[in-house]
Amino acid sequence: MRLISLFSITAIMLILSSCKKDKPEQDLVSATLSNGMLVLCEGLFQQNNSSVSWVNFTNSAVANSLFENRVGRQLGDTGNDMKRYGNKIYIVVNASSTIEVLDAITFKTIQQIDMVNGGVAKQPRSIVFNGSFAYVTCYDGFVDVIDTSALTVTQRIPVGANPEGMAIANNKLYVANSGGLNFPNVDSTLSVIDLSSNIELSKIVIGQNPSSVIADAQGEIYVINRGDYGAIPSSISRIDSQNDVVLSTLAINATHIVPMNSNFLIANYDYNSSVSNVLLFDPLSETVINSNFIATTGISTLYGIQYDSFRNQIYLMDAMSFTNTGYVKSYTSTGSLVENYHVGLNPNKIIFYD
Amino acid sequence: MRSIGFILFFAPLISWGQRDTVQRISEVVASEITLIIPRKINSSLSKKDIEELSANDVGELIQKIAGANLKSYGSLGGLKTVSMRGLGANHSTIIKDGFSISNSQTGQVNLGQIEVDNVVGIISSIGKRFKNSLPVSAQVSGSNFLIKTFENTFTSDTLQIRSNVKYGSFNQQLAYLGVKYSPKRFLISAFGRMRKSAGSYPYILKNGNTFVNSNRRNNAYQDYSFGATLGYKMKRGFGRLMYRNSSINQELPGAVILYNATQDEILLTSKQSLLADYQSFWKIADFRFYADVNSSKVNYKDPTFLNSSGGIDAIYDNRSVTGGATFSIKANKQLVINGGLEEVVSDLFSNDSTFAQPIRFHNFGLLGVSYLLKNKLKIEVQISSQYVQEKNNNGLSAEDRFRINPFVSLETISNKKMRWKHQLWYRNSFRMPSFNELYYNNIGNNLLEPEDAHQINYGLSVVPVQKKIDVYIRSNVYFNHVANKIVAIPTKNLFVWSMQNVGLVNIYGFEAILQTKLKLAKNWKLTSNANYSYQRTLDVTDANSPTYLHQIAYIPLHTVNFDFSVYYKTTGLRMSNYFVSKRYSLNENVVQNEIGGFLISDLSMFHTFKIAKKNQLKIQFSVKNVFNQQYAYIRSFVMPGRNYLLSLSYAFN
Repeated sequence: MRLISLFSITAIMLILSSCKKDKPEQDLVSATLSNGMLVLCEGLFQQNNSSVSWVNFTNSAVANSLFENRVGRQLGDTGNDMKRYGNKIYIVVNASSTIEVLDAITFKTIQQIDMVNGGVAKQPRSIVFNGSFAYVTCYDGFVDVIDTSALTVTQRIPVGANPEGMAIANNKLYVANSGGLNFPNVDSTLSVIDLSSNIELSKIVIGQNPSSVIADAQGEIYVINRGDYGAIPSSISRIDSQNDVVLSTLAINATHIVPMNSNFLIANYDYNSSVSNVLLFDPLSETVINSNFIATTGISTLYGIQYDSFRNQIYLMDAMSFTNTGYVKSYTSTGSLVENYHVGLNPNKIIFYD
Repeated sequence: MRSIGFILFFAPLISWGQRDTVQRISEVVASEITLIIPRKINSSLSKKDIEELSANDVGELIQKIAGANLKSYGSLGGLKTVSMRGLGANHSTIIKDGFSISNSQTGQVNLGQIEVDNVVGIISSIGKRFKNSLPVSAQVSGSNFLIKTFENTFTSDTLQIRSNVKYGSFNQQLAYLGVKYSPKRFLISAFGRMRKSAGSYPYILKNGNTFVNSNRRNNAYQDYSFGATLGYKMKRGFGRLMYRNSSINQELPGAVILYNATQDEILLTSKQSLLADYQSFWKIADFRFYADVNSSKVNYKDPTFLNSSGGIDAIYDNRSVTGGATFSIKANKQLVINGGLEEVVSDLFSNDSTFAQPIRFHNFGLLGVSYLLKNKLKIEVQISSQYVQEKNNNGLSAEDRFRINPFVSLETISNKKMRWKHQLWYRNSFRMPSFNELYYNNIGNNLLEPEDAHQINYGLSVVPVQKKIDVYIRSNVYFNHVANKIVAIPTKNLFVWSMQNVGLVNIYGFEAILQTKLKLAKNWKLTSNANYSYQRTLDVTDANSPTYLHQIAYIPLHTVNFDFSVYYKTTGLRMSNYFVSKRYSLNENVVQNEIGGFLISDLSMFHTFKIAKKNQLKIQFSVKNVFNQQYAYIRSFVMPGRNYLLSLSYAFN
């Protein structure tokens, strides 16, 4: 019977050891957010592990469960976009089909907007703002208009298949229709929406599988076309927002495009070779200023890039093969590595605090 | 000792013929009670175990076997796969009544779809010697699970009947009837079965500092199956012809996505099989010839998938034809030569024009010798070959592959004087990439190499001699190495992953099994079954990776089974406990990826009425998950809490 007892004791010890509680994350965040950055970590589909990390620039400390600690519940599944507008922060959570609205200073929850239509999840992707409205692309083929005061959806604007990124110029909203869920028969159009009437004016044919959209200072729209990840490489379409016509297609491989003062930072991650590249582009002259602006040595999976104008620093987000917790690396405006922050799973968006 | 060939041939039949796993029982007197010790222990489940455990499917049974690691995506009807000793599920072959159950589309068998009502035994076979009754493809795989059903075995009784009705929580309903008629040398059997469940079980999911109280949605399930067997027994052999048909209609609840309760996927499955074999036993040689034809049609529907065609309605038709033969020749008392050949042809059609139309020709060859050295040491050596050709009629094809794999085993022969039994074996095997891994739209990669597995095992059986207790323990220490592990990684964007050979895994394992049986007093009996598995399954792919030397996702370090039963005459009670330590949902062993361990206890009470000669009626009431644990095998796939099942069984003969 000793052996049986030994089994029982072993089993009980294992159970007890497995029930051991984790140490709570040390509260590294002050009641009001300042001098740091919020990092949205997308997580992985069906894992309910989207999170928001807080990086304190004063002491370089990182708190990786800010949302859960402040709100008391989890963010959800596949956090896709995060932006600040006024004193509110909006987080677009794709698979959970919600938009979390939080106080930008305290990071306390204001409202969770349920993005379900007739029992079908809208699967929101990206958000932009204009006046007192937020515009949210939804994978069911609409752009939802949200009143930023009432925090309710006031209108649904039909666009193309599986819309992704947006940009605003000349009182028009430009929406990239990716058609990603029809792969390999993807979409290749850019919807133009009049922001006065919220009506789609036209669809401009651009490259295959469009995603990110950005406007420059002279009102030109730049759209990344992701191609087919094979024979058709990614490219960038340049559109005149006055006449809504394609001006040119730039043979620049790109996965991300963000502003850096009057220039653009264009990043590319080659999924086949795992090679990353960041170039500096002048949209006024449509020329590449520096084709290898940042040495991406040490970046495993470039998944995001942003520029902090207050500190004049560039931040690259490393998704570490998508299944490992990621890093945010900061660089000077000339491309020298400054700091490396260990954050959550698949960092993709940043909001900076002065 | 009778001829080795006789034993080799009949070993599986003998073991199957048992009503219990306990094959040889010795009795010793310990104090005032009589202790009955099983002398030979298989990693197996007997008919009695299977009945008492009241499992929904074979998957829930196999998790009771040492070294098996179940992945369950739900209760009744939920996808269940099993991996053995840290190897992927595709390294295990499921053998039912001597025939492989295979699925070349996914490469793994959904154990949640294999019913248990007619199952009379399950054995885990790993590193075991050649068996003439098994197909060649099974003998060369990393491990096997052998399932035997009521309908397909010869019996001396002219008529046998088995029937079962069950009703349980979540509106579970089940009915089964099996009849076996054996006039003289014939075997004529048939069975029919249905089960259904609303599947809307309540669950509690922790969400930060809050708890989500909800019900599982879109989880209804129903299936029907029927079949018949015709057999004929000769003086030196027997032949069987079997037909199986099943139809499954199930909703797919998917993962529980926080704040999003919209799920409406459906899976319709229909399967048909025609199987035949002939086995012949002679003084100097045994043979088996076997063949089967299988069709598995799957219809996956997602009416709210946000594509332009308004959803997905995909049909996949996976067919296979198998033919093979095995032999075992007794050259003399010491030397046995065995081997076999098998050819499997499988293909896949889909209504998805972008999907491949592959056809695979898979040839297996096996040649081995078994030598008994001075009646003390059994030496077995096998060499197997596999040649695989594929043709894709709708795109690029995978290249032809040819592999040779060895198996070597040294095993001491125990006797009355020798109470220690050692076994040392090495097996090299591989598993082919599935059609999905090779060709599934943009996920597939036709350049994939097979995933290789090396297994080294040392097993020790000990009978410690003590004054008051006599215990039999079997333990194994093993090391496995997996190379070219097939994993999915994003190669286009985060939503588009594809399959790559990038993984290296080292597995350090230990398992122990202990069974006891005590006669407490007249009419009272106590039995216990316990096993423990330790599986240190480490990622050794890249020393610079953050997951280097981390435990592979979903493999627990510790697994414990501890069951005990008390019997008084024909009344009994069984407490079944299953413990799994914490696991990780991804290979990076960080807190965010932890999935809590769990201990699930089931309780069954049963009583058998002998209503007339040869007629038995058994009533059984089971409480599953007695302590109402909220748990999950797979992250976001919640399992049911406490639930109940009432079963009424009738048996003639």
